[in-house]
Amino acid sequence: MREPSELARDADDAVRLVSGLLRRGETGEAFRERVRTESWSATESGLLAPALSVESGTAVRIRREGRLLLVARSGAGPEALRDAVREAGRLAGNAPFFKAHRSSGTSPAERAVERAEAEEEGRSAALAAALARAFPDPRGISATLQLSRIVTERTVVTPRALLPCGARTRLVAAGTIRRSGAERPFSFQSARPFAEAANALALALHEATRPVPGLPPPPGPVDVVFSPSAASVFWHEVVGHSLEADGGERGSVLSRVKGAAVAPPGLDVHDDPGRADLPGAYGVDDEGTLARAIPLLADGVVTGLLADRRSGGVESNGHGRTASFRRPPRARMSNLVANAGHASFGELIERCGDGVLVKEVATGSADPESGRFVLLVSAAEAIRRGRRSAPLTPFALGGEILSALGAIEDVWGNEVLPATGLSICVKGGDAVPVGGAAAALLVRGLVARTARR
Amino acid sequence: MTPASDDGLFERVLDAAASDGSGAELYERRGRLLELTEDETGTSLLESGEHGLALRLFKGGRSAFAASGPAHALLLPSQAHARLPRARTRRGVRLPAPVAGEAPEGRPIGDPPAPDVDLARTLLTGFRQALTSSGRGSVAVREASVALGERTERLATTSGRDTAWGSRLATLVATVVGRTTGGRFSARVVGAAPRPEELPVARLARHAADRVLLPLHGRPFDATRADVLLDPLVASHLVGRLAPLFLGDDEEALLAARTRDGRDALASPLVSIVDDATVSGGLVRGVRDGEGTPQGRTRLVERGLSSGRLTDTAAALRLSRPLSGNAIRVAWSDAPRIGVTNFFVDPSPGVSPLDLLGSVSRGLYAAVLLERPDVDLAADRFRLVVAGYAVEKGRATERISEAEISGRLSEFLRGVSGIGDDLKFAIGGTGSIGSPTLLVPRWRTG
Repeated sequence: MREPSELARDADDAVRLVSGLLRRGETGEAFRERVRTESWSATESGLLAPALSVESGTAVRIRREGRLLLVARSGAGPEALRDAVREAGRLAGNAPFFKAHRSSGTSPAERAVERAEAEEEGRSAALAAALARAFPDPRGISATLQLSRIVTERTVVTPRALLPCGARTRLVAAGTIRRSGAERPFSFQSARPFAEAANALALALHEATRPVPGLPPPPGPVDVVFSPSAASVFWHEVVGHSLEADGGERGSVLSRVKGAAVAPPGLDVHDDPGRADLPGAYGVDDEGTLARAIPLLADGVVTGLLADRRSGGVESNGHGRTASFRRPPRARMSNLVANAGHASFGELIERCGDGVLVKEVATGSADPESGRFVLLVSAAEAIRRGRRSAPLTPFALGGEILSALGAIEDVWGNEVLPATGLSICVKGGDAVPVGGAAAALLVRGLVARTARR
Repeated sequence: MTPASDDGLFERVLDAAASDGSGAELYERRGRLLELTEDETGTSLLESGEHGLALRLFKGGRSAFAASGPAHALLLPSQAHARLPRARTRRGVRLPAPVAGEAPEGRPIGDPPAPDVDLARTLLTGFRQALTSSGRGSVAVREASVALGERTERLATTSGRDTAWGSRLATLVATVVGRTTGGRFSARVVGAAPRPEELPVARLARHAADRVLLPLHGRPFDATRADVLLDPLVASHLVGRLAPLFLGDDEEALLAARTRDGRDALASPLVSIVDDATVSGGLVRGVRDGEGTPQGRTRLVERGLSSGRLTDTAAALRLSRPLSGNAIRVAWSDAPRIGVTNFFVDPSPGVSPLDLLGSVSRGLYAAVLLERPDVDLAADRFRLVVAGYAVEKGRATERISEAEISGRLSEFLRGVSGIGDDLKFAIGGTGSIGSPTLLVPRWRTG
């Protein structure tokens, strides 16, 4: 029989503790998290220093009439929960009743150490091989990278039940690659099985080491074809952040026009935590609400809002996410998925005429209030007379959300692919893993900016 | 402070780690954090405790790292030992030696006291009032939070270093929204101080109001070349991006390329750059770094010429430079790496920003950043998108909603012709980054 997770071994006691803590009119839950991070510093010549960190923690949250109390403690066992409940009760003015508890028994952690280390050795070898494939000839390349395999296990304890959110494993790489007097930020994330993820990392690294061209993009307004991977970042910044309910129901240029057609007919964008192949997936959110897919744009019309339990005036729809047990959950995206159209990639390039093909976006930001957004393009090519042309140096691409959505061509790519560059989303200092899948897209009239030489 | 209650756990882990003759360094951190947040939905009170241990093993020129909470701390030696054979180093590692003249303390640490929620509430109220005044009714707080934290740390090595210390930090983070007939704009501003009473609440409120109102008023800047005055909080974000050049010997080649192997100046002779963990006004007030080394002041650029490096134990040995105390542990679960404490351009005493403004005949005062600065050290280029004021004959004349300042970074730094005495800091890197007002004449703008 499978051994219960370290986070779930005292399920009955934990549920009793949480239900005994809450008074009439209060809602709340306990949240347990265990994060195991195997990491390696790495350069173009291979893996360097290995490291392991294991952090576990418990939070108790109590909500009442718009107020939230959160007490967090290190450790994910019964002692940490009792300590957090005791302190939460004191701060909230409650008097939690503590029943005698059974010993939690010997931790299985010791028994698991040897097995885990043998597996880790295999992963080290796989990553070293991936780096060797990525840098077959490292001369002239300088890479400073941090590679991490992160296993996150979370459980929510409500007054009625203990709900495992599941364990998620990600391979994450971040750092800088320099070649020919130019530096390029590199980020990668994959939730696929380790061997597949390592292969994808090797390909992404190899692509990132191509020489950075010196040709600047055309300044000012430009028509842009986004590759499927870059289109995921576009949707993330332009639609996703604008429809997270933490700014209130009227906190963004999109939420203020709910029900209006803002994009071409036939275009659907939804947030889907159930896409297990993408890094932002989960089954139960960090407040214990069952995750579900939420349509944000349907047929080009603004339809939904991503909500957590605290979002003003909106029921939670399973998007309460937290960066760690110490932080309060907020309404956040998971995996943003756009539907396929009917055009081939080549047709979009041809339709563009003169413009830019954006292959990868390193990072982006948006101000949902004003609608301004900026994407920092890390890999691009010029398009001239409907054909792919010279590679372009990195540049910034800006625009306004409603104008950009209105400027999307009414045909888009027929192949939806997962994003490779979209990894961690940081908002308000809180980082959560996110994913995306989209088809290629043609947007007219965005504004290219580049540093003058 | 409550006493330590782990019954010698720290000593047991360190003894077990060194049982096979490896050099070992064990670090322990205990912290308490209180965060009070007010937003449109209501209020949140977060009270958080942390306790973690991190072990570094050193053997045969290799090093391995493992970290966990106290519940599994006894596993750390075996976890680190298992990783040692797979470790490689590019430039060597070194176990921190005892600090000269210091006796091992051997002092267990306890949990710091819980911070005061009433103090947090007072600071939030002060910020709201200051913002109402600065924003003249056009700026609202969407969310504001004050966090008060305190931590105690201990580090011991098998070579005889054993020391304990404590530190505090207060932060104020706010998302504000400007609403005028010209439209809406929101921004997030962050302020910090080593003590709650030092939080620059009024200054942060003024900055927040500028940040959301300037883009809504005025006109885009149309001059293609103008004298540029950078506000300290704009300049600090540009200066901060130079920090990687001074982190040990990581970027020796890049620094050599920027200065033609030391033949050229990195910046104007007016510019000196310093890292100082104890400087007044700095957001970090460090005592010791993540290897237990006492922290102080390190001059990195002296009158425009590169002169120093930030070091940890290993880098100091490699570079034959003194230990600067810059091994930073961002979290207890992270291995220490070289980083900044308070990294800043030294101010010019007696030169007020008004003096600099008075010297501008036609120019731009860049008051706030509208986007994250785009700086490429390898390609020697930068781009700032700012809002601020047009300047004519030494006076601010009209508001500028957007302007771009870009070009070759080395030329910009060598072109600095004036530095104010108004040093201010922002959160950046692994600590804080700072600058006074900077003046660069005849720069490309748009």
